[in-house]
Amino acid sequence: MIINHHVSGLLIVFTLGLGLILTLLPAPEMIAAARPAFFPATVLFWVLMQPLRFGIISAWCCGILVDVIYGTPFSEHGLALAVAAYAVIKMREILWTFPVWQQALLLTPIFVLYEFVLFWIDGVAGAEADQWWRWLPVVSTVIIWPFWAFVLERIAELEVG
Amino acid sequence: MRGLADDDKSPLLALRVSPGIKIVTIIIVSIILMMVDHAHDSLAPVRSTLAVAMQPLQIAAELPGEFTEYLGHYFDRGELISDNEALSQKVLLLKVRLQRLAALEAENERIRALLASASSLDQNVLIARILSVTPDPYRHYIKLNKGSADGVFVGQALIDANGIMGQITDVTPLDARAILITDANHGIPVEINRTGLQTIAQGTGKSDQLRLPFLANNSAVEAGDLLVSSGLGGRYPAGYPVAKVTRVKHQPGDEFLDVIAEPTAHLNRGREVLLVWTRDSSLQADDGPYPSDRSAADADTAVNAAAAAP
Repeated sequence: MIINHHVSGLLIVFTLGLGLILTLLPAPEMIAAARPAFFPATVLFWVLMQPLRFGIISAWCCGILVDVIYGTPFSEHGLALAVAAYAVIKMREILWTFPVWQQALLLTPIFVLYEFVLFWIDGVAGAEADQWWRWLPVVSTVIIWPFWAFVLERIAELEVG
Repeated sequence: MRGLADDDKSPLLALRVSPGIKIVTIIIVSIILMMVDHAHDSLAPVRSTLAVAMQPLQIAAELPGEFTEYLGHYFDRGELISDNEALSQKVLLLKVRLQRLAALEAENERIRALLASASSLDQNVLIARILSVTPDPYRHYIKLNKGSADGVFVGQALIDANGIMGQITDVTPLDARAILITDANHGIPVEINRTGLQTIAQGTGKSDQLRLPFLANNSAVEAGDLLVSSGLGGRYPAGYPVAKVTRVKHQPGDEFLDVIAEPTAHLNRGREVLLVWTRDSSLQADDGPYPSDRSAADADTAVNAAAAAP
């Protein structure tokens, strides 16, 4: 388990870049709307697996980068990711005891929380796009979590063995 | 697994600052940042610096698409040849029409001068390439490959061959970001071409819909009406097509009509857009220079001053 190992910062940055690219790949509107939140999933994976190195502050910084790329109000995604990271930290002892596919189910409310914070800020900022498919990423992210966590673990094991 | 059975003093769980304090601090900082960002542009330099740093990632994300497009071109020789022929014919056709248009424009200018309400039709344009479309499906922004180095300025109008697309919101020296008219945060002053009725078309967040929320129940509007920019507010040049009304619904008990229109510009297709410089100094709020012949523009100042006063 990589929880017990010290994963290098470079590796974390690499996987975050990977997650970001998967989020940025151009896609048709409907697919883009249902696209799994790869980047937040990656951030939360590290919050879960490397709690000493990667916490709320790191998650917040990652969110700021998303805000820069998306052009959303500064710290909108930062806040959403920080809140999600906080929830993961609070739940981490439960999360650690489950295999990844059950983790996915436990993470569902956290991804809902993440989307809700974004939805809420958009509403306050007057950019409400009130569409039901806004919640599709929650479903797709929960579905890909076991696979994505598996991939990230394998990548990490390349380094820590 | 170490740490599970242990209490909070195990090294794995010993976070230096309690997460509760951290999250409360971050929530407060975030709210302040969002309010500052929403209210004024003081964070723009930070944003553009970070954006430049993130450029390589965005380029990497564009690569697969560009590569398949390149491969597609490689295999589509026949299609390219037929495309080329069709385009040549179209250019010829358009040139013929343009000749007529030039005459009409001159005539129009003369008549406007007679009416003493001259507004200059003379506009400069610059072709920009769309670098990327915002990956956030709830916002309609595009990034262009022209920036302040080319004279692009904030508030500048963006059109394509079929109508108005949007306006520039941020510029860096090398690129610019534009909001499209369909973004839920965007409104554009329009007039109904058939009747001259003025109203505002708001974006809905869907790429094929605009809404006209301020038309009273007795307004003369029907499906198929063309909406053109009215030029009010000074952001957009007047007279460009914006959208076509697709649905007019009478809401019982409501004072306003529910009117939906479809943008005429191809917002989610195509790779090139036109940036417009209107020769009206009131549009140049952000002191962007014209891309060329400044002196010719100065010669028109007298006419423009007349145009600026309604």
